[in-house]
Amino acid sequence: MELFLMTITTGIMVGSIYALVALGWVLIYKCSGVLNLAMGEMTLIGAYVSLSFYSMGIPFLPALLISLIIGLILGILTERIFLDKLIGEPVLTVIMVTVGLSFFFKGMLELIWGTDTRVFTPPVFSIEPIHIGPVIVGQAYLWSFVAAIILLIIFGCFFKYTRWGLAMQATADDEMAALSIGVSARFVYAAAWGIAFMAAGVGGTLLGNINGLNISVGYLGLLVLPAVVLGGLNSVPGAIVGGIAIGILQNLCGAYLDKYFPGGIKEVAPFVFMVVFLLFKPHGLWGWERIERV
Amino acid sequence: MSTIWLPCGVYHQNYVQDHAWWQTKFIKGKMILLFIILFVVIPLVADSYWLSVCNQVGYTVLGALGVQLLIGFCGQITLGHAAFIAVGAYTSTLLILEFPWPKFMMDFGIAYPFSILIAAFTAGIWSLLFGLPSARVKGFYLILTTMAAQFITVDFIITQYVSQIGGRGQAFSLPPGTIKVGPWVIDSDLKVYFMMLVLVILCVIIMVNLLRSRVGRAWVAIRDNDISAEVMGINVVKYKLLAFFVAGFIGGIAGAFWISNIAAISPEHFPWFWSLWLVGVILIGGVGSIHGTIFGSIFMVVVMEVLQLAIMPLADIYPKLLMDFLFIKEAAFGLAICLFMIFEPNGLAYRWWQIKNYFNLWPFSY
Repeated sequence: MELFLMTITTGIMVGSIYALVALGWVLIYKCSGVLNLAMGEMTLIGAYVSLSFYSMGIPFLPALLISLIIGLILGILTERIFLDKLIGEPVLTVIMVTVGLSFFFKGMLELIWGTDTRVFTPPVFSIEPIHIGPVIVGQAYLWSFVAAIILLIIFGCFFKYTRWGLAMQATADDEMAALSIGVSARFVYAAAWGIAFMAAGVGGTLLGNINGLNISVGYLGLLVLPAVVLGGLNSVPGAIVGGIAIGILQNLCGAYLDKYFPGGIKEVAPFVFMVVFLLFKPHGLWGWERIERV
Repeated sequence: MSTIWLPCGVYHQNYVQDHAWWQTKFIKGKMILLFIILFVVIPLVADSYWLSVCNQVGYTVLGALGVQLLIGFCGQITLGHAAFIAVGAYTSTLLILEFPWPKFMMDFGIAYPFSILIAAFTAGIWSLLFGLPSARVKGFYLILTTMAAQFITVDFIITQYVSQIGGRGQAFSLPPGTIKVGPWVIDSDLKVYFMMLVLVILCVIIMVNLLRSRVGRAWVAIRDNDISAEVMGINVVKYKLLAFFVAGFIGGIAGAFWISNIAAISPEHFPWFWSLWLVGVILIGGVGSIHGTIFGSIFMVVVMEVLQLAIMPLADIYPKLLMDFLFIKEAAFGLAICLFMIFEPNGLAYRWWQIKNYFNLWPFSY
């Protein structure tokens, strides 16, 4: 029972980081219709940048803030240089451009930072675990959870109460109508990419704090894909629920199924689950079901 | 309407002529010249290094043909084709290493060709299995299921379970002399080259013949609009699954062929990168064209080799560069895809078609 509770707690906490990254993904998809496969590398960029600044001796929070700003600039640049020219192109073209971007980013990251695992030194969060009732939680997990929740709330308020956030919501809902009332679609696309880069960067930094940072953390960024499919591609609450669900699923499989399928069940389980899930609910939990006509 | 340019005064009088392979004497001459170059000139001229480059091109063509069939002709985007190539390679290797072949089959050298066939069927059926969701989902959701195929097959089943068969650990190595086709033991680049040529030509013939038949027309209809295809009476699910099967089949042939060249296989030979690479190859070559597959393969492999040759002299000055070449290759591949998608979305095949038209219509280009 204790194992179960602990698995669930860890799952929720890791899942909240996935939720943060998934939020960025859904944002790009909703606003500009781009299916982004470069999410893993976007998490890595933010993580490496903040790690570099942290190792230079800048405290953690300012380092994170600098990486957020760099992420925003990179996101806007990416959108302007590559994605802006592809509006209205077929799905495959856009997807493959993001795949190309992911390789480009990955190659550059490996050139600059190498492939060795790096850790935040000195550790940002103390290694002492915290006892919550019968459950023992690592501090890195707990603070990541808190940070992810705070950021989710900030993003939620941004969409709900600010002028820019409302413009983005309007574009996501109906692009034509938004254009006709004077929302600049190009601004919204750029903002979506910037915010996605920022969310991914925070997610990557938090993940890097838990297990150390190397290129394979980018694979965790791929796990947002099962998460968004679970929630439905164009649903922000769906992305959050999906992220947390994938986190729980992964940890449950790691704890209980590892005996029977030794090895990488933890990495593969979300994808297996996704394939089976798609057979029964092809549009996710809250995704829009488009009616197709000839 | 034939898609081939015909000289003035030459008319087709029936459909058979319209779909013939070599429609004019000029094309026939051109193709014979191409075959002479492929079978005689290249083996005579090229040294071992360039032959191995040619073999890589052939392997890429074989792998990319299946991707081209799925993406370019059936509209089912796949990002997990390396999984099926891996299934083919592993089936063939395991059959050679573990299966008790009758003595006469080993002696006459039909064990390996036979294993290629079985590998192709296994890969086809495995591909069919992961094509099943295509009955329900399409677009991005289908992309995700094919990605799942990659992770489930290569990173999980093959790495964790198949690699344990025989207790060899991670990599299977094929002892020299086990790969034997007829009287020839495949042990040099030249022999691999000839085997590659035969397989590529065979697979291209299979593909082209499928595409000009009822099956191919059904695939193209599904690609263009699957709802109207269904309305026209095409069994969409059946033809989609058939496309997955044939793509897996050709992928299996590619995998089973490649073990003759590398002599040792491990899961690292079939990463997700390789699946994406194949999709990149057909995008750069041109989607929906067999020429495009071949042009794309030649372009990607040769460009990467040239990049390597260009970096080699620099490596004396910066030794770190040699280690970093893999990363440079990745970044260059990514950038190449992005630039091709933005500036040349029709691929090299379209450019080829334009050049051909220019000369066919010369001097009056209207």
